[in-house]
Amino acid sequence: MLLDLWTIVLVSMGVVFFLAGTVGLLRFPDALSRLHALTKADNLGLGLVVIGLLPRLTGIADGAKMIFVWLLVMLSGACLAQLVAHLIRQSGDFKP
Amino acid sequence: MPSSNGKPEMTGGMASTGKLPSRKAAAIARGISYLALWLIMMPSARPTDLLVGAGAAIAATWLSLRTFPPATGCLHFVSMAALMPHFIWQSVRAGFDIARRVFDPRLPIQPGFVACPLGFPEGLARNTFATITSLIPGTVPCGEVDGVLTYHCLDLRNPVVQQLWAEERLMARALIAGRRHD
Repeated sequence: MLLDLWTIVLVSMGVVFFLAGTVGLLRFPDALSRLHALTKADNLGLGLVVIGLLPRLTGIADGAKMIFVWLLVMLSGACLAQLVAHLIRQSGDFKP
Repeated sequence: MPSSNGKPEMTGGMASTGKLPSRKAAAIARGISYLALWLIMMPSARPTDLLVGAGAAIAATWLSLRTFPPATGCLHFVSMAALMPHFIWQSVRAGFDIARRVFDPRLPIQPGFVACPLGFPEGLARNTFATITSLIPGTVPCGEVDGVLTYHCLDLRNPVVQQLWAEERLMARALIAGRRHD
């Protein structure tokens, strides 16, 4: 029961941050600002979903895998965000 | 401390006076790390799975030695791991920061660019710093202009450069032998 509550609360919070990323994508005025919304809010959203689902898993190996996937997403997001930002800046196309 | 090929190098705080690993040592360490990562992703003791894992680890090691040879510098993973809670906390703050702004009807942002001069030498040290600081609230690095890292900031009213310098001091103490500003 308590674990169900944990999962419901954490996954719901994660969904709110995914929603924040999407709302940012729609509301922010230029491509570079939208990058902020997508990378930062989704990182936290995914982290909360992972933490929420951890008690549901049967083994440590599954938990380690999920945490590792989250870390990989953070790392690839951090690397790709700056590469995309660099390209947008070079193109000069960062006005709304 | 210049390395053998003249490029500046980055070493860990505790290893700042040590040498860079040889190509062979780097290959072994990386190969074991990649295999360990494979085993986390594919926890199976079947010989065929292990064989594919070993092949993938060898291919990844070969590629990493080509794209990122040991002479360009090295990371001190223990120091890096010690900073992980800080990075994750910054990432949490960044997520809340975005949520606060996007759900505010007034959309309180003032985007723009700032140049952030850093003590980190060009190459691995600066790239690592840029990658990690893309997780902190309100900043995304977007390349270098005349050797100075440029950041896109969501809100120019925040003291972004001071915040980045604070991050630099933290990382320089724990991880990288960079120059200081003060």
